[in-house]
Amino acid sequence: MFDFLIDGFGVALTPLNLGLAFLGALLGTLFGALPGIGPINGIAILMPLAYTLGLPAESALILLAGIYTGSEYGGRMSSILLNVPGDAGAVMTTLDGHPLAKKGLAGPALGLSAVSSFVGATIAIIGLTLFAPLLAEVAVMFGPAEFFALMVFAFSSMSVMMGKDPVKTAIGAVLGVLLATVGVDSGTGVMRYTFGMPELYDGIDFVVMIIGLFAISEILLMLEHANRKDVDDEMPPLGRVFVTLKEVLYCKGAMWRSGVLGFIIGVLPGTGASVAGAVAYTTEKRLSDKNGTFGHGDMRGLAAPEAANNASAAGSFVPMLTLGIPGSGTTAVLLGALMLYNITPGPMMFTERPEVAGGLIASLYIGNIVLLALNLPLAGVFARVLTIPRWVLVPAIAILAFVGVYQLHSDLTAIYLMLIIGVFGYLLRKLGFSLAPVILGYVLGGLMEQNLRRALSISGGDVDILWQSGISLGLWIAAAALLVLPWLVPKLLSKKPREKTQQD
Amino acid sequence: MSHLQKPVADRLLGIVLIGLAAFVAVQAIQLEVPFSYEPVGPRAFPLGLSILLAGLSLVLIFKPGADGHWPNRVLSIRLLLVLGLLLAYAMLFTRLGFVPTSLMVVAALARLFDATWIKALITGVLMSACSYVLFTEGLGIALPTGTWLAAIT
Repeated sequence: MFDFLIDGFGVALTPLNLGLAFLGALLGTLFGALPGIGPINGIAILMPLAYTLGLPAESALILLAGIYTGSEYGGRMSSILLNVPGDAGAVMTTLDGHPLAKKGLAGPALGLSAVSSFVGATIAIIGLTLFAPLLAEVAVMFGPAEFFALMVFAFSSMSVMMGKDPVKTAIGAVLGVLLATVGVDSGTGVMRYTFGMPELYDGIDFVVMIIGLFAISEILLMLEHANRKDVDDEMPPLGRVFVTLKEVLYCKGAMWRSGVLGFIIGVLPGTGASVAGAVAYTTEKRLSDKNGTFGHGDMRGLAAPEAANNASAAGSFVPMLTLGIPGSGTTAVLLGALMLYNITPGPMMFTERPEVAGGLIASLYIGNIVLLALNLPLAGVFARVLTIPRWVLVPAIAILAFVGVYQLHSDLTAIYLMLIIGVFGYLLRKLGFSLAPVILGYVLGGLMEQNLRRALSISGGDVDILWQSGISLGLWIAAAALLVLPWLVPKLLSKKPREKTQQD
Repeated sequence: MSHLQKPVADRLLGIVLIGLAAFVAVQAIQLEVPFSYEPVGPRAFPLGLSILLAGLSLVLIFKPGADGHWPNRVLSIRLLLVLGLLLAYAMLFTRLGFVPTSLMVVAALARLFDATWIKALITGVLMSACSYVLFTEGLGIALPTGTWLAAIT
């Protein structure tokens, strides 16, 4: 059963792939530590460079996965030291992380978050190894109708879980799916929404899309933060850089509980690190906050979201590798990256391309150890990255974005398109949209339409096929329940007497 | 002040999105589809999406969220300047070549992000030169040397 993992270690332990896992971890940590750049931006900016290296699919994926997990590590730096979360997933880290830094315990806080990230990720990677092949076996039974229902489920779970505004999350997803319809229709050869532009015949290029959406819009957003002075710019002294064994053991309960929780949340499609961090923090607070120390620099309050973040990052690989449905915005980007190599992740990947699936999982084990080894002693060095001023950072992102798109296309139209998408992304973010649903919609849109049409071809146009099997019916019901329950439950609860809530 | 006003941004967005949905739908209907054996052609999916989008936009119009913070006049000008710079970067990228264009754009961008002129210039020189070496020598990417320069020599 674990043949794929043994083969995977064979792939991951070649000098090239080992070096790439190391490089990815290093670059990821650096990019994640940069103020304002979360994992998804880091991958978006660095992905084109991964292609120029001319790597085989599994090596490119190992590099990108290293960047992903590394930037989850790096993201905590600005949360703890500056009280500025690098991305949504790190918001909960600020709650107890920054107070710790203010107490003069910045160094131990960084060390502790590295250890809890390691513990959380390890739990989740073991979970991934155990469950992914099982899920892949179930997923083999999925036909087009089931896949279509699964995608509907993914979108509805995302709408409910992600972001503050479910309507905007849904709109973002629809816009993403619409963007995916641009180009030649594979079934009939009809041009859709290409407006006579040959550059659009193959659809909007994935790299152009993510660089525009994430890197360019980030440049525009940073302008706003450049002269905003409400953040704590003063870097607290690190103090001792090492975390003691006693401190780690004090948090061990929080770590493993949050790790398991984070993994489960990560596996659910559409719910990423932000949800995992929030759920883990509130759970831990409810369980262990006996003296009201949470929020004032309790180490367990830092360990919980950090373990959960990284666990959900690894957990979100489960649906991506087995079903081809990414569990988060970042895995959606990774999925798009795989598709550029003509590999469609899904149940067959474990049997048809075991070197990709196994190599990736094995490299996650290796990368996780590399990250701990890098982050414990080098926390002080990485923290320096935070002091890089924006006037260095922004031009650097601009150069990377332009060269990244240019070297793939040698074509100015692609660059103009990138800028247009960048403005579009900026407006969406200003309007309170999260970009993860857009990219998820864009990546899944093509598959969603294909599966719908394939299902209806099988049935000769009979719509009933979409919910005839038990699996798809279950998924439809689950999707509907997810959409209705958050709206229904508070209404039902509010009918009960209110005294109970006041007692709490 | 702003919290007393009715939220505008979401309503406006809703109207724009309904317009987009209508555009998508009209374009889909106008597609000329050759005969195919599939029961579902290329029209149905975009049409369905446009209906969904219109429905969601209606929710946005009738239940708008609060307006976010929008850039003030000074910031808007700087925003347009940054956009203009990026556009200039795109237009000059192949014509003037990578190094000179990057030098100017990097320096101007750095200046816009509150660097002093001296620092901005140094950043421009260092970053364009270093990235050129890194990309061409290190990663083997062919960067444009500039069609204008080639025309002169």
